[in-house]
Amino acid sequence: MKPLPSTSSKTPVKFRMPTSENLVPIRLDIEVGGQRFKDAFTWNISDPDSEVSVFAKRTQKDLKLPLAFATQIAQSIQTQQTEFRSYKGQEMLTGEKIVPIKLDLRVNRTLIKDQFLWDLNNFDSDPEEFSKTFCNDLGIEDPEVGPAVAFAIREQLYEIAIQSVATARESRNAKKGRRGEYSSISRSTGAALDLMKLFSNRYSGVRKRKEWDVFEPMVDMLSNEEVAALESMVERKPR
Amino acid sequence: MASLEPPAAVTPPSSKPNLLPLPSPTIITPSAAALAAVAPTTSSSSPATLSVATPLPTPSDAELVHIPSYSRWFSLDGISECEIRCLPEFFDSRSPSRNPRAYKYIRDSIIKQFRRNPSSKITFTEVRKTLAADVISIRRVFDFLDAWGLINYSPAALSKPLKWEEKDSKTSQHAADSPAGPSSDSTPPVRETTKWLCGSCKSVCSIACFASDKCDLTLCARCFVRGNYRVGLSSSDFRRVEISDEMKTDWTEKETMQLLEAVMHYGDDWKKVAQHVGGRSEKDCITHFIKLPMGEKLAGSAEFGSGINKLNQMKDDNSSNSSSSGKRLCLSPLADASNPIMAQAAFLSALAGTAVAEAAAQAAVTAVSKVGHGEANAHFRSLHGVQGLQITRALRRQVMSYVFLYSDASITSNGSNKLKSSEEARSGVNTMPEEKVNVEEELRTVAMVQMKHIQEKIIHFEEIDSQIDKEWKQMEQMRDILFYDQLNLLKHERSIRKTGQQAAEGTRAG
Repeated sequence: MKPLPSTSSKTPVKFRMPTSENLVPIRLDIEVGGQRFKDAFTWNISDPDSEVSVFAKRTQKDLKLPLAFATQIAQSIQTQQTEFRSYKGQEMLTGEKIVPIKLDLRVNRTLIKDQFLWDLNNFDSDPEEFSKTFCNDLGIEDPEVGPAVAFAIREQLYEIAIQSVATARESRNAKKGRRGEYSSISRSTGAALDLMKLFSNRYSGVRKRKEWDVFEPMVDMLSNEEVAALESMVERKPR
Repeated sequence: MASLEPPAAVTPPSSKPNLLPLPSPTIITPSAAALAAVAPTTSSSSPATLSVATPLPTPSDAELVHIPSYSRWFSLDGISECEIRCLPEFFDSRSPSRNPRAYKYIRDSIIKQFRRNPSSKITFTEVRKTLAADVISIRRVFDFLDAWGLINYSPAALSKPLKWEEKDSKTSQHAADSPAGPSSDSTPPVRETTKWLCGSCKSVCSIACFASDKCDLTLCARCFVRGNYRVGLSSSDFRRVEISDEMKTDWTEKETMQLLEAVMHYGDDWKKVAQHVGGRSEKDCITHFIKLPMGEKLAGSAEFGSGINKLNQMKDDNSSNSSSSGKRLCLSPLADASNPIMAQAAFLSALAGTAVAEAAAQAAVTAVSKVGHGEANAHFRSLHGVQGLQITRALRRQVMSYVFLYSDASITSNGSNKLKSSEEARSGVNTMPEEKVNVEEELRTVAMVQMKHIQEKIIHFEEIDSQIDKEWKQMEQMRDILFYDQLNLLKHERSIRKTGQQAAEGTRAG
């Protein structure tokens, strides 16, 4: 187990996903000739680039999509990859970072709503492991839920990591005025400060009773009609 | 989602027991037929349904899962050496997400998913949607399992059954069905004479393969060398089976034509050639090309080339050496000329193409004619007399001989080239004298160029020679100077000694 860095350290760390593996969430949303293909999965950024085209072809063949999809898929993956890599050399602040992660997703017929706290400093964290336990504990039978949950978590972590890069940059730029530095940092660690307040109240890690409902996971199974209704609603929105 | 748990829990869901003997017969009910349809939590019941050619008494109505005999090492409980070998990235701790635990999780999930519905093929995308892991790891494990027939394998699904696979399925079925009854599909072993598939790496064997009659296994040379066979076999159980390319896949005329065209265009770029031919790997193209009789090599090119072709054919027929020489230079019609210069010249001219060669020849010939043959001869003679003459004479002889040969050959071999139509042959005859002249000129110019090259070399060596002479003279001078110095020294010495002696005498006397 890697020793965790001290909680109040504000030393910048090289950008990476705050999980035990450097996996990147990739989201695909491709429309070719009236056919829409949406997908989301995790990608190992350290794998060679040749895998992209292989994967794209495979997906296209397996799902029997028209050939144009393969190139689009490959392109999309590569763009997201390069985007991730562009953050690579940069630093991100890892101060006190316990952030709330919200799950609000629908996979086939399962609807999940949940909210929990995640320690951003823990680079050993594993969304996959979390989602496995999640599904086991809640008795979710649809095997597609697990990866979706892991993906959602990863996506949010990715967003937060990107934000922390931005704040690190800000703080570096605003090094002139110490006042400015303070304010930007305090902004970014706003959530953490709240939590400190929270914990400092009782010196125990147990939540207040009234907040139990907020943090309880909710899993719902929808019937086919509800699913159809939701899908049509979603599709209508972007139009 | 079909999650038919057997009515009584077969084993505690959370434990992962060793390969248990089958659960007691009382628990086996028709719903146990979906034992393969294991709920995600129970992993223990699936080993029981493995009906590899093991003598386990399987329930008669359970759905059987077939896996080929070369995958007998597989077990859901552990990771075998074969897997470690084939997927090393999971076991060398190079990447934190690729570890044995993750591998096992992916592998087990894929297999369970497949076994839920063993009669239908499972695609990679279906699998990857249900697994919380990075998609590339999933793909690798999926491909591995697919290659080893641990998923997407069913005797019925095989379209081109090969003999050894048939036997495996039959034996596995026998073992499985013997308690149950006669096996339903007894497909006769269909032997495709020309196809050999390697049992382990599932690639088509090309050069040689090793078949073991002991257990009906076929391995390609690579897998055999690597030792990629099962534990029970040793290398002596295999006998070598040679397969030649031609027997396996005959090259049709069309393919040969395509190949030659492609080679003409792309020369050494075998990737493009393979693409052009379509359906042949690079290696196939190269081996077939080498084996082609020389005369066909430049077929389809301009007539000049075809003239050389016929010459070659003639020579080949004469020498009867055509197919035995392994790696002859591709585009050199006169390649087996004993004179390396001629060979190189021919090669260059063939490479450059007929138009270019003709133009070059024209220019060179006009230039040379200005100089005059006699002058060139004299020039060479002046250089190093005999040698130059010899060279010119030899080259001339060769040129003449080739020209004669060519003219003979072209006349006689006109009808022998089956690739050419009769019209082309006739037109070939008409342009015969022109070609003869062309060939002569070209050869002459080529010879001239070579001789100039030699001449320059000789000049260079002469320079070096003179330099060496100079240095030698310098050395001699230095030696003389040294000698003179020595003499002087001696003289001085003597004179000093004399004076010394005189001084000594003087003092003694005085």
